[in-house]
Amino acid sequence: MKIIESSRIKEKAYIETLENGLTVIIIPKEKANKKYIIWGTHFGSIDNRFIMPKTKEEVFIPDGVAHFLEHKMFEQKDGTNSLDTLMALGIDANAYTTNDHTAYLFECTNNFYEGLDELMDYVQNPYFTDQNVEKEKGIIGQEIKMYDDDPGWQLYMNAMDCMYKENPIKIDIAGSVESISKITPDVLYKCYNTFYNPSNMVMVACGDFEPENLLEEIKKRLLPRESQGEIRRIYPEVENKINKPYKEVEMEVSTPIFAVGFKDTDLLKENRKEIVKKHIAIEIILNLLIGKSSDLYKELYESGDLLAEPDLDYEFSDEYAHILISGQSKNPQKIQQKIQEKIEEFEKGLNKENFDRIKKKIYGDYVIEYNSIGDIARMFLADKMKQINSFDYIEEYDTVTKEYTEEILKNVFKKENMILSVVKGNETK
Amino acid sequence: MNCETSEIKEGIKFHSINTNNFKTNLYALFLAIPLKRENITIDALLTAILRRGSKTMPSQEIISKKLEEMYGASFDCGIEKSGDNHVIKFYLEALSEEFLPQKEELTRKSIDILFDIVFQPLIENESFKEEYITGEKENLKQIIEGKIDNKGKYALDRCIEEMFKNEPYGLYKYGYVEDIDKITGKDLYKRYQELINTCKIDIFCSGTTEKNKMIEIIQENEKIKRLQPRKPDYIINNEKTDARKPEQENIVEDHMQVTQGKLVLGLDIDMSEENARFATSVYNAILGGGANSKLFQNVREKESLAYTAGSNYNRQKNCIFVRCGIEIENYEKALSTTKQQLEDMKQGDFTEKDIENAKNLIIESVKSITAEQDTEITYYYGQELAGTNITIKEYEERINNINKEQIVEVANKVNIHTIYFLRD
Repeated sequence: MKIIESSRIKEKAYIETLENGLTVIIIPKEKANKKYIIWGTHFGSIDNRFIMPKTKEEVFIPDGVAHFLEHKMFEQKDGTNSLDTLMALGIDANAYTTNDHTAYLFECTNNFYEGLDELMDYVQNPYFTDQNVEKEKGIIGQEIKMYDDDPGWQLYMNAMDCMYKENPIKIDIAGSVESISKITPDVLYKCYNTFYNPSNMVMVACGDFEPENLLEEIKKRLLPRESQGEIRRIYPEVENKINKPYKEVEMEVSTPIFAVGFKDTDLLKENRKEIVKKHIAIEIILNLLIGKSSDLYKELYESGDLLAEPDLDYEFSDEYAHILISGQSKNPQKIQQKIQEKIEEFEKGLNKENFDRIKKKIYGDYVIEYNSIGDIARMFLADKMKQINSFDYIEEYDTVTKEYTEEILKNVFKKENMILSVVKGNETK
Repeated sequence: MNCETSEIKEGIKFHSINTNNFKTNLYALFLAIPLKRENITIDALLTAILRRGSKTMPSQEIISKKLEEMYGASFDCGIEKSGDNHVIKFYLEALSEEFLPQKEELTRKSIDILFDIVFQPLIENESFKEEYITGEKENLKQIIEGKIDNKGKYALDRCIEEMFKNEPYGLYKYGYVEDIDKITGKDLYKRYQELINTCKIDIFCSGTTEKNKMIEIIQENEKIKRLQPRKPDYIINNEKTDARKPEQENIVEDHMQVTQGKLVLGLDIDMSEENARFATSVYNAILGGGANSKLFQNVREKESLAYTAGSNYNRQKNCIFVRCGIEIENYEKALSTTKQQLEDMKQGDFTEKDIENAKNLIIESVKSITAEQDTEITYYYGQELAGTNITIKEYEERINNINKEQIVEVANKVNIHTIYFLRD
């Protein structure tokens, strides 16, 4: 296996791409009493139009299929449910769907190989019938309604609507009650056969493992699969402008919540290390801008316009990239205005002392990610889906200079790419 | 790997969890006092004000800058209910010294910052800084009013409030908006002194720093030297609780703008022997502990009535809360399905396999306690407040020893106390 490492934090990762195309990443953690494994496919809510590699058929699927498929994978032909089987072994199992991948995971202190049997069995053996697909529509319908009542989720979806006119990032991961009503076993099998091919999947394990042994155990459990060519995904063209600068809805919330966003139109598709560097620089800028020690946060906290530090996030792929600053405030417009002013001030140059201090903080943030085996495995999986080596965040750290960061600031935090999404209380009530 | 406890002074203890599974050291400082209606709001406000600045670090900005310089150390505080205690929690997390790019003594610095915030506040004319008081009053109001935002959590809090009406545990941990305006700076200062001189104080460190080194650092700290020994005023969590068997089910309904209804059932367990709590844990896991549980299987999988369906056991108060997110029109059906599960449990309608699954689930979560620093600290603090000293290994054994008879016995002591429904 190929080894990559970070000497700074004393961690190593073993990587192997098998003949059938499956990538396996193992991060050994001596003496950890828990083991964690996650198996992901590069298939998320944004992959709604693609060409099947074998038949060359172009498929356009209803919103929410990746997530629906995730739910249905647990159901077995013999009537059992793999989630129950794993739970019965005392294994904590779960699955989730994101914009760009779907993942199946479990963690345990005991019975790891029994768990691996079950995980690799259910992910490789789909069983969809008209009846079990219909039943799931009720459960997922309730899940969708739970999100309908979640102000934070609505805020996020509206922020996406502000930034993009036609981009699959706007699709709700679970779809809608209407879109999932169109899902049939045939659609599910088509997606399964396309995206659950080993060449489109990555498995990551973290815990007290001997990497070569674990790799053998994984190989033993793989079913033979014909390799397939590349899956061509069809996305709308990248738009260089925002869709609308402002969106507001009313829901039952005590204080309005807001998301100030910047659409990043400077997508770096080629150089992965450059993307990592840019990500680090953006995190530094966000902390300088409105992080805990910033002048702006102090001002807004003291004036009662912010209750707590906002969440700072940079979300990116080859199809979209944006920054979100979200929080709770009685006065979202003022927050946006202040952010704008601060950026103009920053454009004249960043303060060296503050920059160095925040850079130190960011170093600690990256190291702390290695505290939990689950965080490590999920991070390696999510980064791998973007073709990023997670250790690069620690290794590229030194190369991020103040000058570089100032350049990123000018390229990304542009006034014309700024949006505001607000969810506020129902005033008529 | 256990927790070793040493007394620093009467009423002030240090607990050391030595582990090298993490990149960080986590330091925690807990203050415990009995939950009381007259103190609840002022204590929540006090916590928020302490966070704003200390004598040597008079603003949040200065505290944050100090922490950032320490490679992104983080400070946090919060307030919780633990049984009938109000617990004020302060945490500081910093990288272990071995992962720093350059050598620095972060442990001593961390302890100093933590103690400074709690024991050496910024005092002006026998009061806290006026600006911080006004600001935090506003924030606290918003936090309390914000309890409606998370509908699932709100429904649970409302059910607890109804089930423990006029009792300490029914109080809301952040207090009440109507108390806030009346609180003066002098009241806060007086309350701070009273609290700091009488509360139970526990200090935890989880990480690589060795126990004796930690004790030395703590004892050399000037702020600790100044603290008085005390006979701490707090409620031991393990004491027998009164039976709360209701005459009839207490049915409560609230209306809000929601599309999904939240059904919460508060169940009382009329049994308080210590060992019964282990049997109750197993009972709860069979009823609503996970994907194999009766609630998940019947309410969600068979009837397709809900996305979430499960139950939680509150060990300190010895009660169980069943929670389901349902289609509003399915209220009757979800309620009767839930009741049927309680009835089936009473009849012993579950298998040895169900018991084994439930035990596995609990044991797995018990074994996982050491995988997270704050979880391990919370576990041992729970033991401390209960006056027990059950190691993780013993806990596991006691769960393993529970048999079906004991579970059925618990089932027959379970009564529905409150049925709460949040709907449109």
